[in-house]
Amino acid sequence: MDFYYGLAQIIGVHTLLGLSAYIVLLTGQVSLAQAGFQAIGAYTAAMLTVLAGWALVPALAMSALVGALVACAVGFPALRVRGLILVVATLAFGEGVRLFFFNFDYQVARGGVRVGPLGGEGFRQIRYFPEHGWTTLEVMLFIWAIVVAVMAALWWFDRSRYGAVLRAVGEDELAAQSVGINLTAIKVSAMTVGGAIAGVAGGLFAHYTTHIEHTNFNILVATFALAYPIVGGLASVFGTLAAVVFVQGFLIEGLRFLGDWRNLLFGALIVLSMNLRPHGLLDAPTLARLKRLVGR
Amino acid sequence: MLDLVQSILDGVLFGATYALIGIGFTLVFGVMHKLNLAYAAASVGGAYCGLLVMGLVHGAAPPWAVFLGAFLAGGVIGYLVYLTCFHFIPLTSPLATLMATVGMLLLIDEIIVHVTDGMPRNYPAVFDDVMLQAGEITLRGDLLLVFAVSVVCMAGLLVLLYRTRLGLATRAVSQQPVAAELCGIRVTRVNAATFVITGLLGGIAGALIGASVGTLSPLLTTPLTVKGLIVTVIGGLGSIPGAIVAGLLVGGFENLFQMYRGVTERDLYVMLLLFVFLVFRPGGIFTHGAKRD
Repeated sequence: MDFYYGLAQIIGVHTLLGLSAYIVLLTGQVSLAQAGFQAIGAYTAAMLTVLAGWALVPALAMSALVGALVACAVGFPALRVRGLILVVATLAFGEGVRLFFFNFDYQVARGGVRVGPLGGEGFRQIRYFPEHGWTTLEVMLFIWAIVVAVMAALWWFDRSRYGAVLRAVGEDELAAQSVGINLTAIKVSAMTVGGAIAGVAGGLFAHYTTHIEHTNFNILVATFALAYPIVGGLASVFGTLAAVVFVQGFLIEGLRFLGDWRNLLFGALIVLSMNLRPHGLLDAPTLARLKRLVGR
Repeated sequence: MLDLVQSILDGVLFGATYALIGIGFTLVFGVMHKLNLAYAAASVGGAYCGLLVMGLVHGAAPPWAVFLGAFLAGGVIGYLVYLTCFHFIPLTSPLATLMATVGMLLLIDEIIVHVTDGMPRNYPAVFDDVMLQAGEITLRGDLLLVFAVSVVCMAGLLVLLYRTRLGLATRAVSQQPVAAELCGIRVTRVNAATFVITGLLGGIAGALIGASVGTLSPLLTTPLTVKGLIVTVIGGLGSIPGAIVAGLLVGGFENLFQMYRGVTERDLYVMLLLFVFLVFRPGGIFTHGAKRD
């Protein structure tokens, strides 16, 4: 049973990561920096609980705050450029963060062992959950409580004026600007919210894996973060969740019996799903149909 | 001082391969206004296909045959990428195309890992025992060959773009796709041709990288993708001369910092170089600072 709880933890954290890219994508911006924000959140939360002895919840709040601040700081200069240059700029930022942690040493002796991040070897002994006697089920429930809260918040955003403004910017910048929307404020705010969500995802990730290193936050993770909302569709937050379940649950875990062939099928299925459903698994017409089914 | 000149020179020579990869990204962007993230993976895949030539004749093939194999295979893979990631996806969903090329990148990577069992393969080197002495400075023969072949490829590309009907059509589509179509240019065919041409270039670039590094491994694809994209942006999206200069610049810069700061920090400085360009020259090397997209 613990296996399924573990899988649910992974799906939960990846959903958060996908949602952090989702809100940025709503404004039409493609950001490959989400893995970088996640790395910052992960190292922040882990250093606070392991080195400073904080409790988990304030540490997670702190990693959300730091993620948001960094995302805001990246947003201003990066959003001067648009479209594909932004893709490359955020990609370079994400890689820069990864390389920073690859070269980052900060170790403190604690109970005869040296703990803390150590360059390429990463950050070991993030033992908050085992030390405080959390079971796998409890960790899973904790992660999912946060996922549900974030999804509810974003779902509510979507129904508010703010969500409409985000989508307006994403659909047509010029039209949005001409009705008096401040493009920079909207894009930077979306980036900031995305950074906060990615920061929390990182903090949770660091604590359930107990060991983080720079390769956990490479380009592949950044493209995955972007892949979830695109494969799932931007019509609603549930698209991201559906894509994470499809990718993590079906493509990665469900196809494990195929052995080596699974990895081959993985890329091919992404290509195929984009060809067959260019607007995502849960696009607007499908969503409307589902709503009718439920409503009846 | 001598070390400094030597390392910059080595870097600039190797940077020619970055320039080739950068040209591939920039050409597809110029013509289709889309990003083909599978390009570096396709290049490495082409280089691996070159090794198949070696297998056919039981390891007795001359290096040029391997290069030719890589060149042709690169073109074929380029066309396949076009077909799977661009042809059938509607123009109105650019995100789907982007994601499909990511899927293709993963697929090509995995095919390589699957076929080679994840082991790096030796690549035939050319002129690796030749050392030219220019005063105190040594020029490695294999790097010089890399540089020379890259220059020939770039020259060939420029001739193709500016002296042939296909090149004229390509430039027309990149400027105004609708107007080009109204003039009777078959846009889809030009797009496909662009992918074949960039694929051919990529195959050569992959083979050159394999030859100068000595081994080929699927681990090359990610750094090559990043470097190629950085070169594309520094050179200015869609600008071929920009990509060439930026490639050489990034190569020299990278090798310089490898010497001073070590291999783990090297790429950090390349990213910083990119941000310097994004802040002061967002349009690339050859445009004025004011123009942005």
